[in-house]
Amino acid sequence: MSEKYVAISWNRQKKIYDALLWSGVAVYLLLFIGLGSFLQPNATIETLIIRGFGTCAILLLHIVLIIGPLCRISPKFLPLLYNRRHLGVTTFLIGAVHAVFSIIQFHALGTINPIVSILVSNTKFNSIADFPFQILGLIALIILFLMAVTSHDFWLNNLTAPIWKTLHTLVYVAYALLIGHVALGVLQSETSPILAILLGIGLVLVVGLHLISAFKETDLDKEIVSVDEFVEACTVAEIPEKRACIRTISGERVAIFKYDGKISAVSNVCQHQNGPLGEGKIGDDGCITCPWHGFQYLPETGASPPPFTEKVPTFNVKIEDGKVFVKAKPNKAGTRVEPAKI
Amino acid sequence: MNEDFYIGYLPKMPKSLSKIIKTFVILAFIAAIGLAVILWIAQKPFAKSVFEFGTVKEFSGTIQAKTIPFLLIEKAEKNNGLPTFERIPLVAEGKHGFDGKSFDGQQIKLKGTLIYRDDLQMIEVVTDSVEKSPNTNQISEKSESLGKFTLKGEIVDSKCYLGVMNPGQSKVHRDCAVACLRGGIAPLFAVKDFQGNVSELWLLSEKGEAINNEILDFVAEPIEITGEVKRVDNQLFIYANPTSIKRE
Ligand code: HEM
Ligand code: FES
Repeated sequence: MSEKYVAISWNRQKKIYDALLWSGVAVYLLLFIGLGSFLQPNATIETLIIRGFGTCAILLLHIVLIIGPLCRISPKFLPLLYNRRHLGVTTFLIGAVHAVFSIIQFHALGTINPIVSILVSNTKFNSIADFPFQILGLIALIILFLMAVTSHDFWLNNLTAPIWKTLHTLVYVAYALLIGHVALGVLQSETSPILAILLGIGLVLVVGLHLISAFKETDLDKEIVSVDEFVEACTVAEIPEKRACIRTISGERVAIFKYDGKISAVSNVCQHQNGPLGEGKIGDDGCITCPWHGFQYLPETGASPPPFTEKVPTFNVKIEDGKVFVKAKPNKAGTRVEPAKI
Repeated sequence: MNEDFYIGYLPKMPKSLSKIIKTFVILAFIAAIGLAVILWIAQKPFAKSVFEFGTVKEFSGTIQAKTIPFLLIEKAEKNNGLPTFERIPLVAEGKHGFDGKSFDGQQIKLKGTLIYRDDLQMIEVVTDSVEKSPNTNQISEKSESLGKFTLKGEIVDSKCYLGVMNPGQSKVHRDCAVACLRGGIAPLFAVKDFQGNVSELWLLSEKGEAINNEILDFVAEPIEITGEVKRVDNQLFIYANPTSIKRE
C-alpha cells in the first residue's frame, strides 16, 4: 500500500481551498436564510433551512461536476481538481443537513418510522405531478454518502482502483436522481418558470462541458492499430522537452516522454485516479509527475520511486529517421525498458 | 509552457494559473450570491400563517368531541336567549389528532399553543394538560345548511395548513399531510371562490364520520368534491362521500 496519502495530507493550497469553499457556503446560506426571513417573514425557519441547504448542495454538486471536464479542456484548471475531494464531501454534508431536516419536518413524529414513511407515503411512481420525489433524494444521498466516506486514498487502495472508480462514477447517477428530485418535487409546487430555467442552465452547463471535453479527446483517440509490432507514433521533434505526446495504440493510451536526449513510453493512466500522465512533466528528480495530484513514476520503469509502490505498464520504443516507434504490446507494469537515444 | 506545470502541494501557483483560478472562484461566488437572490424572486409568496411555538397559553371552555374535537368558548352575544360559541379545533402534539372523547361536553381548562391562518385558529394541546371542572355546560349549536355544492380545491391536513408548517400544502408538503391524516388530524378542504378568496371546510363523510384513510390518495392535489356544505358557528363543513372526489 502506498504511503503517499499520508505524505501529502495538508498543505497551503488545501487550506486556501477549504477556506474559500467554506466561506462560499457560509455566504450563500446566510444570504439565503437572511433574505428569506426578511422578505417572507411567515416562512418557517425549517423551510428556510431545508431550502437553503438543498439549493446550496445542488449548487456545489454542479461545481464538482464541471471541474472534471474543465480540466480536460484546459490543464490550467487543475488546481481546482487537486482538492475536489473536499468539495465532494462538503456537498454530501450540506445535502445531509437538508435531508435530515426534511425527514424530521415531514416524516417524524407520526405513527410510522420516518424512513419507512419516505418509502410508503407516496407510491404514485407512474405520475409526474405526484411522483414520490423524496425517494430520489434518498438514493442520491446514499450515493453521496458512500462517495464521501470512501473518498480518502485509504479506500482507493483498499477497495482496489476499479471498484473505487465505478463507485465514484455513480456521482452521475446521483446527479440525474437529484435533477428528478427537484423537477418532480419543488417544481411541481412552485409556479415560477425561473426555477426550471435555473435547473436547465445547470444541466446544459454540466452536459455541455462534458460533451466539449469528450469531443476534444476524440482526436487523441484516433487509434493506431497493430498486432504487437512496433508502430509509428510521432516524431521526436513534436515532443516538448520533459513532456510527452499522448497516442492511442491498440486501444491503450500511451504517454511518450522526451527528456535528456532520451525517449520512454509508459501507460498514460495514473494508478491513483486515472489522471493523464502524458499531461504531466518530468521534474528535476527525473520522475514523471501526474498533473492531477502529483503521484510520481520513473520513465524507464513505470514504477514510483521508493517507498511508494505504484507501477504503470511500460512500452518498448525505438527511433528511426527522427520518428518514434512504440511496440503495441505493453510490458507488465513496472518492467524496466531501455530508453531510446536520440 | 513549463512554468504552467503546478501540483497542489507546491508552495506557489504560477501567475497564469492563479489568474484563471481566481476568475473561476469569483464566478462561483457571483453564482452563489445571484442564486440566493433569484430564488427569493422566484418562490411563491408564503401564506400569512403562524404557529406560536414556545408560547403556551391557558384556555377554558367546553369540549365537544364529535368526529373533530373543538373547544367551545362562550361569546358575550346571545342567540334567542341561548349562549353562542366560538369553536376552535384541537389537535395533539406531533402528527397526531387530539382525543377528546373522555371530555365530551365537559367544561375544562387546558394549556396549548395557538396556530392561526387568517381568521382560522387551532390549539395544539399540551399533552395531559386538560383539567376537568365538575360542571358540564349546556352547549347549543348555531347550524345552517348552505346546500349541496361541487367545489374545487385541495385536501390539506388542518394542523400544518393552519400554520405549523409554511408552506403547509401542495406537492412538497404531501407526504407530511398524509402522515398527519394517518395520525388522526382532521382534513380541511381548501377552496378558492371566484374572487380568489380562500375558504376552508372541514371534510367529513355524509354521516359525519372521519374519512382520513379513504382520502389519503387525493391529498395535496387539485381535486373536486361534491357534498353538503354546512355552517356551524364560525366553522364551515362539507359532508361528502369519498367516492365523489375527482381529480381535476
Ligand atoms: C433523504 C433524502 C432527501 C429528502 C427526504 C429530501 C426532501 C426534500 C423535500 C421535502 C423537498 C421540498 C422542500 C420544500 O421546498 O418545501 C426537497 C427539495 C429539494 N431537495 Fe431534497 N431531499 C433529500 C435529499 C436531497 C439531496 C441529497 C439533495 C442535494 C444534494 C437535495 C436537494 C434538493 C433541492 C435542491 C431541493 C429544491 C429546493 C427546496 O425546495 O428545498 N435533496 N427535498
Ligand atoms: S490521478 Fe491522482 S496523482 Fe495521478
